Amino acid sequence: MADELLQQAQELFEGQIDFEGQKKTELISTMILAVSGLLAFILGFVQQNIYVTLWAGLGGAAIAFLVVVPPYPFYNTSPEKWLPKGSGMAGSGIEIDGKRIN
Amino acid sequence: MHSTLVRAQNVFGFFTTVAFCTALLTALSVLLTPQTPSTTIELRNVQVVKGRPHYYSPKKEEYAHIKFDLDADFTSLFNWNTKQLFVWITATYPSSNTSSSAPPSQAIIWDTIINSHSQSHPFNPLELFRKAPTPTKKSKKSTTTKKQEPELQPGIIRLKNNKPKYQITDISGTLSDRTNVTLEVGWNVQPWVGALTWTLPEGTQLGRWKGVKGGKSKVFNMPALKGKSANSETIVASGGTPKAAEASAVI
Repeated sequence: MADELLQQAQELFEGQIDFEGQKKTELISTMILAVSGLLAFILGFVQQNIYVTLWAGLGGAAIAFLVVVPPYPFYNTSPEKWLPKGSGMAGSGIEIDGKRIN
Repeated sequence: MHSTLVRAQNVFGFFTTVAFCTALLTALSVLLTPQTPSTTIELRNVQVVKGRPHYYSPKKEEYAHIKFDLDADFTSLFNWNTKQLFVWITATYPSSNTSSSAPPSQAIIWDTIINSHSQSHPFNPLELFRKAPTPTKKSKKSTTTKKQEPELQPGIIRLKNNKPKYQITDISGTLSDRTNVTLEVGWNVQPWVGALTWTLPEGTQLGRWKGVKGGKSKVFNMPALKGKSANSETIVASGGTPKAAEASAVI
């Protein structure tokens, strides 16, 4: 019971996502940050107000953190299909130097 | 990007890159704004008196007390990235009358800091979320009767017969009867991000930035020590003796 709880807590803390999710987070974080930085500069320059640039940039970074950092379910939609346990052991037909390995 | 910690690190790492690039763009955008500063500086009155650097000093030196008129328009130096402007006036004179190879001596007689609008009116985004105070009848009345004064653009200086901030002396201790003295206006633009920029001399041009128009006074000579002879003041004002200081700065 205690072990299960501990494992759940650890999973929550680590917040792992699958490979597709990792690809998505990479793309999303890069896009949000780059666009918000550019937008911050343009908005500030048009309004001639340096504070707009500052707070738009910081706001964009905050959004990027909120969107990307927590392990949302949509980053875990395509889990990897691993082979069943032990399937590689019982004569799976792997050959090394012409010899079958069991 | 597989775990929370790694994602947080990656996002923050790229954020620092983006912040640096935005700051770089901001610093470079300053070059797009044209700058056309102009100043008119004239001497009003100069006196040389004996004095001591401090009360208990046995050393006596000569101090020049230079009154001046300054009309300056630095509004074009205030762009969106300007934090503040430091303006000063130097008295420049040859270090010695005999050798011309020595660089001229310079001493600051007056200076000021002009804050930009963004410096004096900081913007906090939390103010947007704070509840605006509900207008009462009283405040409504006051807003209708009180005229909204137009915000003055920073960078205009108008000083008439202004006293110097600093009485200057020379390393040799004597300043009386010096010749070829000029007053010069200098400035330093301090931006929020980017490089500090200093006075552009008259006639120079850097992209869209023009050198200062004016910027120097006519050449004048220091008078004899006060009290030694009757004619110990150099008064340049056309209308006889200048009135008591009527300094008014619009900054």
